[in-house]
Amino acid sequence: MKAWIDKYFSVIRMTWIQALEYKANAIVGTFAIFSGLAIEFLIWKQVFQAQELNEIRGFTFNGLMAYIFLCMIVGQLKSSWATSIEMIDSIRTGEMNKYLIRPISFFTYHFMMFIGHNSLFYIVYTTVLILFPILLPGYAFPTFIHIIGFIAALLISIYLSYSIYFCMVCFAFWFGEVRALVIAYNLSNIVLAGQIIPLRLFPDSVRNIINLTPLQFLVDFPVSIATANLPMNLWIPKMGMALSWCIIMTLAGRVIYRSGIRVYGGYGA
Amino acid sequence: MVGMVLRYLSLWVSFFNNSLTRDMEFKANFIGGLIVDIIFYSIQFFFFSIIYSYVDALGVFTREDVMIFLVITFLADTFYMFFFSGNLFNLNRWMVRGDLDYFLLKPVESQFMVSFRYVKSYALISIVILVTMLTTLILNYSQPIGILNVVSFIISFLMGTVLWYGVDFIISSSCFWFKNFSVSGWLSHEIIKFSTRPDSIYTGILRKVLFSMIPMVLIASIPTRTLLYGPNYHYLIWQLFMAMTFLFLTRIIWKRGLMLYESASS
Repeated sequence: MKAWIDKYFSVIRMTWIQALEYKANAIVGTFAIFSGLAIEFLIWKQVFQAQELNEIRGFTFNGLMAYIFLCMIVGQLKSSWATSIEMIDSIRTGEMNKYLIRPISFFTYHFMMFIGHNSLFYIVYTTVLILFPILLPGYAFPTFIHIIGFIAALLISIYLSYSIYFCMVCFAFWFGEVRALVIAYNLSNIVLAGQIIPLRLFPDSVRNIINLTPLQFLVDFPVSIATANLPMNLWIPKMGMALSWCIIMTLAGRVIYRSGIRVYGGYGA
Repeated sequence: MVGMVLRYLSLWVSFFNNSLTRDMEFKANFIGGLIVDIIFYSIQFFFFSIIYSYVDALGVFTREDVMIFLVITFLADTFYMFFFSGNLFNLNRWMVRGDLDYFLLKPVESQFMVSFRYVKSYALISIVILVTMLTTLILNYSQPIGILNVVSFIISFLMGTVLWYGVDFIISSSCFWFKNFSVSGWLSHEIIKFSTRPDSIYTGILRKVLFSMIPMVLIASIPTRTLLYGPNYHYLIWQLFMAMTFLFLTRIIWKRGLMLYESASS
């Protein structure tokens, strides 16, 4: 076990050093969140002002902004599409051979790389989250338990998101180029996971469908915990459902990977 | 002058033919690109359908107007993809790997080469679909849209595309100063995002900035206003001025940047 931890921790450390070399990523990432939030702020301000609304489906204006702000942060932390594109390339070009002849798992190695690359974001966003109760007091993290719940849900969201991407990546064993699939999923999950509009504002018919998928656990679930929009008595059942999805997606990924590796030619497509 | 324009035009046609041949080799990618576009459009329509389920109009833009605005935004995006995105997005990589040398050695203007060399041919199908959609929306619009509106819209739209090119080119060219600016594409995308929302939501200083220093509202909002509400000559003259200014800036930045370029050994 210790050898396993040492092995993969060294991957995180290596990518962490690389990530520190490219600080521009964190700067642009932070700009992305604030520019996105500015646009959402202006649109929803118009909606609230034009209709003279005090709240929409339980959201006050400030509450909605706090929610969207957190959604953007969670959305960026869990998104591993850049790592997925690298994995697709390594399958397509035959570079994956180096993982097959070494005692490392393709899944875990890239997962650790993804965490390492994102490490700079974790630092920046943790700082933002610490400042959050000062900037918008009363709209998130009302108690310490909410912070713990949020962190747990966030970790589940990151793992679940990566597992879903991994399943899609493995289709590269058959089709070679599946970048379009990953990008299409990434684009749709920005909206369907509730990253820019809370799921609660969706039409009921759409929400009912989303509730049958793991998408609800990617962004909406951690943020609903942080903003106290999800009653505490639902945390454990929802976490159980989220963990079940993690197991399902991990097993699905393994099955697809094992079938895929049998047809993998080991040469550039 | 005419001879030079014709020469560059025929060169672009050769680029297009070459790119089409390349793209057709990867048919799955070709179809995948189309699917991604369709999903992107659907997501944007879905986003605004939710917004408009809570509001009747965003400023002057009613639901009907925003549908036209969205199609114009997609068209601007697809036009940009078709001509430029296959090139400017890769500028940083070409510079880091030294591939830029091959562009500089050709007996044509290097800025033209790095801006137009690769054409995303699959975007042509999206352009046809979007133009058809826009025509349908115009014909079914609650008020008649005159030919003057359409002609001035086309001019305004083209100036918007030039502006988009200018902004993206300037951001991409910053790799000469940063040596490796791999997130330039991401930064461009985040800035361009401001053009994908109707200008009526922007107020105060931000509105002034988006009309001048970062002229995002001139890309799709002003062409939409021109089409729906008729040409506003103040806007059009300002758009022309900004397009010329940004084009001029790209020339200066490109020439300055090239002086800093040290090939792959750097």
